[in-house]
Amino acid sequence: MMPLGLLGTGEKAEVMEIRERNRGVKPAAACCGPDGNGWSCRMENMGLRTGKVVEMLNNEGAGAMLIKVDESRIAIGRGMAMKIMVRRQG
Amino acid sequence: MNTAASSWEPSVKIPEFETRDLKRKSIAVAVAGNPNSGKSTLINGIAGTRLHVGNWPGVTVEKKEAVFEYRGRRIRLVDLPGTYSLSPYTQEEIISRDYLVREKPDVIVNVVDATNLERNLYLTVQLMELGIPVVMALNIFDEAEKKGYRIDTKAIEDMLGIAVVPTVATRKIGLDDLLKRAISFAEESPLRLPKHLIYGADAEAASRQIEDHLRKDHPSVAAAYPLRWLALKMMEGDSRVMEETGLDEGGLLGETLNHLRAAHEEDIESLMADARYAQASGLTREVMIRPAIRKMEITEKIDRIVLNRFLGIPIFLAAMWLVFKFTFDVSTPFADWIDAMTTGPFRRWAVAAMGFIHAPAWTASLVTDGIIAGVGFVLVFVPVIFAMMFFITFLEGSGYMARAAFVMDRAMHAIGLHGKSFIPMLLGFGCNVPAVYATRVLENPRDKALTSLLIPLMSCGARLPVYVVFIGAFFAAHAGTVLWSLYVMGIALAVLMGIMFKRTLFKGESPMFIMELPPYRMPSFRSLMIHTWEKGKHFLIKAGTYILAVSVLVWFLLNLPWGVQNKKDSYLGKAGQVIAPVLEPLGFGNWEAASSLVSGLIAKEIVVGTMGEIYAHKAKEDKKEQPSPTDDFREIGTSFLAASKKSVSNIFSTFGISSLSAQQDDESAGLKPVLRKTFTPLSAYAFIVFVLLYMPCVIVAIAMRQEFGTWKWFGIAFTYQMALAWSVAFVIYQGGKLIGIGG
Repeated sequence: MMPLGLLGTGEKAEVMEIRERNRGVKPAAACCGPDGNGWSCRMENMGLRTGKVVEMLNNEGAGAMLIKVDESRIAIGRGMAMKIMVRRQG
Repeated sequence: MNTAASSWEPSVKIPEFETRDLKRKSIAVAVAGNPNSGKSTLINGIAGTRLHVGNWPGVTVEKKEAVFEYRGRRIRLVDLPGTYSLSPYTQEEIISRDYLVREKPDVIVNVVDATNLERNLYLTVQLMELGIPVVMALNIFDEAEKKGYRIDTKAIEDMLGIAVVPTVATRKIGLDDLLKRAISFAEESPLRLPKHLIYGADAEAASRQIEDHLRKDHPSVAAAYPLRWLALKMMEGDSRVMEETGLDEGGLLGETLNHLRAAHEEDIESLMADARYAQASGLTREVMIRPAIRKMEITEKIDRIVLNRFLGIPIFLAAMWLVFKFTFDVSTPFADWIDAMTTGPFRRWAVAAMGFIHAPAWTASLVTDGIIAGVGFVLVFVPVIFAMMFFITFLEGSGYMARAAFVMDRAMHAIGLHGKSFIPMLLGFGCNVPAVYATRVLENPRDKALTSLLIPLMSCGARLPVYVVFIGAFFAAHAGTVLWSLYVMGIALAVLMGIMFKRTLFKGESPMFIMELPPYRMPSFRSLMIHTWEKGKHFLIKAGTYILAVSVLVWFLLNLPWGVQNKKDSYLGKAGQVIAPVLEPLGFGNWEAASSLVSGLIAKEIVVGTMGEIYAHKAKEDKKEQPSPTDDFREIGTSFLAASKKSVSNIFSTFGISSLSAQQDDESAGLKPVLRKTFTPLSAYAFIVFVLLYMPCVIVAIAMRQEFGTWKWFGIAFTYQMALAWSVAFVIYQGGKLIGIGG
């Protein structure tokens, strides 16, 4: 397993785990609140969730990166991408 | 497209008498869907000019509504904000959900992007829980077909118990069918409710228990909400629902929930999300066949270049340069035309009308010098604002705007923000007011506040006239460099303040950044016009009415106490005299400069206007001959044609906002010699820097109040900007004197 943020451009990987900071503390408020806590549910709503195969479209080593999930192109900040654990596919 | 609803037949015939009865009732249709699903285009296609745009109560999220007659029915169409789900955490989700649960529309039209079925179905599944008939608009159907996707719409209908209509909103295909089916589903409502999707044995058992319990022990709650939806929400531990219903987790309810939680390690919310997602992805597999080999899409090809590490920023800068160039090229001739009209024919007519009704001299002066001059000043900016909004809308609609945010993300991290904040800041160069409104794309209140605080440092178009006048008088030889230095100084100070705010007011983690990059699309001209108008009219109405009132106020302040001869003794002049000593160390401690700065609080371009009024001793208009009204009309017409011609030819000619500076030159010709007497080049530069930095104008203040519901952020902006303006001007003037420039 490796963080999504380390995937190179063109590589594909399966999402294994999304590490949420507040999961379990407060069940409802832990989800994507407007204060930015619990962003994993926002990702889930956009289709980025455990078990999905994602393709890295653009990772320049700094700044945001672009991934493809199903038919959506999602730009995601580096900090968040480092909290998504993936398994690289051959 | 063999499954497409090309010929529609109602499956249940409605008896004639019943339809007659129904004719009087209005049908509420709620339109819901993901962002980028083409929902806006679809609504525009159906409702067109009947669309009314307002705000949802209490928030600044846009609400679109239309009421119209269709086949003898009265249809009330309500557009819900674009959302990915109905989890009640973002403002948009809460609005959509509250509307659906409380207002109970007769039917939901769910706009679905056919090229991205699975993700969109996640929302569909949630909409189906609400106990309202659902009609799916399977939009962007043409592109899905082009990609080789085969979608079995009949299978979706059978499996979900909803209606499915393929649509291509951009070409208005399928919209008629969509409305027909929505009406029939609404009218046959109890027969047309969506099927219950099964979320697993445990969840179903718990849901049934809770439903029974509610029906028995809380009949009033059970009657007010869609029951299954309520049960599911309670299982998810939705605090909003618990609060609203006043139920707590005691007794039977708590027992059921605890049992379920124990079986699933507390996290029922993800259990439900997983179950819904399983529905969406299972369904997608069942109903859609996609080609085995995926072609590289055009969007990905463009992104390879546009988002490239080395090309990304140069391409972005070039795009911005084009936007600014086109904005000024297209709008300046019209701005000049409006200027000529308000200072020419309209003014003459007003003078004539005042003479005709024998109005006293002061009324005539109020109308001509106050109202017509003041409002005219704002009207001059209307073409610029609309032109800029048009090009910005184009960038948004084409999908490039989201890329700009992506490209600038890295740079924005330095000031504690992420790429999305870049869009509002960019708009700030045109006008700070729409820029502040544009901060609503940011989900996070921290980002919104910090971005709004930095926006006023982006030098807006209203400051340009001030620069132009002073640069013309003192730095004509280096005009370009001096102008550039002001814009760069604004940006540099924004970076500096951003870093400072990040360390003080806005400590904490780096903000989250996640946004969808839509595929590139050519926006239709129609939707461009609609959205440009929606953005621009904000300015027209709000700023217009406001400036009208303020022009009158300024006129009074400059002409009271009654019969004041010298402007220095007017209220505004006296205020200037009081403030002047504070400005003394900055090199412009005279009452004229101070008074014009005070009036500039209303809108920065007024600084020049006020100076003109203060310094001008005698109006120069009386030497002109009075043209007849017919000449006036001819002039209006021919000069408008000339302006249009110039506007078009400007686009095709290379470079140059020459006409803008020419106009300013002409206007301020009389002002320059006077300015040279009261300012030195050094104090003039300190003055324009002060104008760049000192507080945001009143209209920005109002926008900030509206966006945040409190004066707090404006207060902070006001304080830091005043301090910044004073210190920077001080450093420039005193530093300059020290090393012996000007003085």
